[in-house]
Amino acid sequence: MNVDTTGFLALLRREVLRFLRRPRNTFLPPFITNVLYFSVFGVILGERINEIAGVPYILFILPGLVVLGAISNAFENTSFNIFHGRWNRYIEEVLTSPLSYQTMVGAYVLAAAIRGAIVGTLIALIGAFFTTVGVVRPLYLVAFGVVITALFASLGVVAGLWADDFDDLTMLNQFILRPLVFFGGVFYSLNELPETVQQVSLLNPMIYMVNGVRYGFLGVSEVDPNASLAVLAGLTAVVITLDVALFRRGYGLSE
Amino acid sequence: MEPAIEIRDLRKSYGDVQALDGVDLTVPRGSFFGLLGPNGAGKTTFINVLVGLVRKSGGEARVFGHDVEADYREARDSIGLAPQEFNVDRFFPIREVLEHKAGYHGIPRERASERAEEVLKRVGIYDKRDTRFDWLSGGMKRRFMLARALITEPDLLILDEPTAGVDVQLRHELWETIVDLNQRGTTILLTTHYIEEAERLCDEVAILDSGRVLDVATPEALMDRGTDDVVVQLREEPTAVPDFAARDDRVESVELDGTMLVVTARQGGLVAPEVVSLLDDDGHEIVDLEIRRTSLEEVFVEMTRQGEERATPEVSSS
Repeated sequence: MNVDTTGFLALLRREVLRFLRRPRNTFLPPFITNVLYFSVFGVILGERINEIAGVPYILFILPGLVVLGAISNAFENTSFNIFHGRWNRYIEEVLTSPLSYQTMVGAYVLAAAIRGAIVGTLIALIGAFFTTVGVVRPLYLVAFGVVITALFASLGVVAGLWADDFDDLTMLNQFILRPLVFFGGVFYSLNELPETVQQVSLLNPMIYMVNGVRYGFLGVSEVDPNASLAVLAGLTAVVITLDVALFRRGYGLSE
Repeated sequence: MEPAIEIRDLRKSYGDVQALDGVDLTVPRGSFFGLLGPNGAGKTTFINVLVGLVRKSGGEARVFGHDVEADYREARDSIGLAPQEFNVDRFFPIREVLEHKAGYHGIPRERASERAEEVLKRVGIYDKRDTRFDWLSGGMKRRFMLARALITEPDLLILDEPTAGVDVQLRHELWETIVDLNQRGTTILLTTHYIEEAERLCDEVAILDSGRVLDVATPEALMDRGTDDVVVQLREEPTAVPDFAARDDRVESVELDGTMLVVTARQGGLVAPEVVSLLDDDGHEIVDLEIRRTSLEEVFVEMTRQGEERATPEVSSS
């Protein structure tokens, strides 16, 4: 194994072990939250809500909840780890090493995407406990899963470098991420909105992620899954390139 | 062969503040090199340029011939740094922190584990290997900083105030470890403001002040620039003493206080025999002789005070 691979695996291992060894922080919160979502929205309220696009409400919201859990965990992993590493300066252990900037970003993003994928899978399993769910288009599910977790992991890198304070991260989550998710078609169908609001909603990238994953699970989507996948993959590539450029410039990392 | 560190006209500014103001410095391979300077002189900034934690504003910096920006990977791989401030991963036990650090430098896992054990034993905290950094005592934290710098077997070991806040015994232990490494070929760059440390350990020291190198010399050469006191205790109070200054231009002043004669001179050790023989020739009986050598600390304080005086008019004229 060459030096680059060894270095990459070492950082990846560090990042993955950090969340695996703290299951109470990593897995317990999404577990509890999603048991609540499925019981309240799916079972208690869902029975009074009509089918959407031919699927029961509880099944309709499942892909959205998977997306919500996967992307917020991917985002949290990079943003918290990089910010915390800067805050306590231990990110210098990485920065003073011979790892290339691409390798550093690659390891941070992949570890966070793995966390997103694990949490997404966990949520799907919780959903399967409440309702019968299959995977109609497994390749699409995997492709969307990879792209959206990588996208939010790489966005988390930017956030982790940008934040000056823990409050900055909380603010991003509360004021940007959460509204986008709630208006991103997790809990309702676009068709239920007035025409103009539908058009505005299409500017929300979350719509494409939720619909893409929904297409993977259920085979139904309100937008073209191939176009969505292409745009999201392009966006991910752009953000990862930005991450590498920021690391190279030392943005938030060096004086 | 390229020197361990080669710096030309290195500059770093933070807004209007010049942290490094045109530093030129060469640290030969295998040397034990000291970087001395008062707080805020630019020592840590200098070090951080080498490892990539500070971006230089101008000039050139090379480590074993590798440019710290263009060839950053080679440059960083050759350096082991024990910084002054603790910057250790708090999520993992210290053994794993070391294994991770070794991994980032491309050392395979099995070898990294062996190395981690070796360095923990070397600095004497092996029994704390499964403890997290936060739970170590102050002295153990310092030991760990050295262990982490050594885990990658660096050719250049940079120690930024390695013995700050440690007790005398640990300080001596750390010195022993560092001297041993140097004897086996590792180049050492040490910053300290315990001047005694530099005096004892370093082959050569650079005095840094206000972002500039004031001088580079051996500790002995620097001490020779200060003045020593040759203190002679005479049996009887003399009515007159020989004119030492006329005989030797290294003599700067002569004071007589009762039976005690104090001759202040550069290179006091060399002047003393002459003082003794002149007194003897004049028939004075000497009962005690002491040479009070100037310390590197006194020379250092003198040099950096001059530095302050030099710096002042520049600030007002700019």
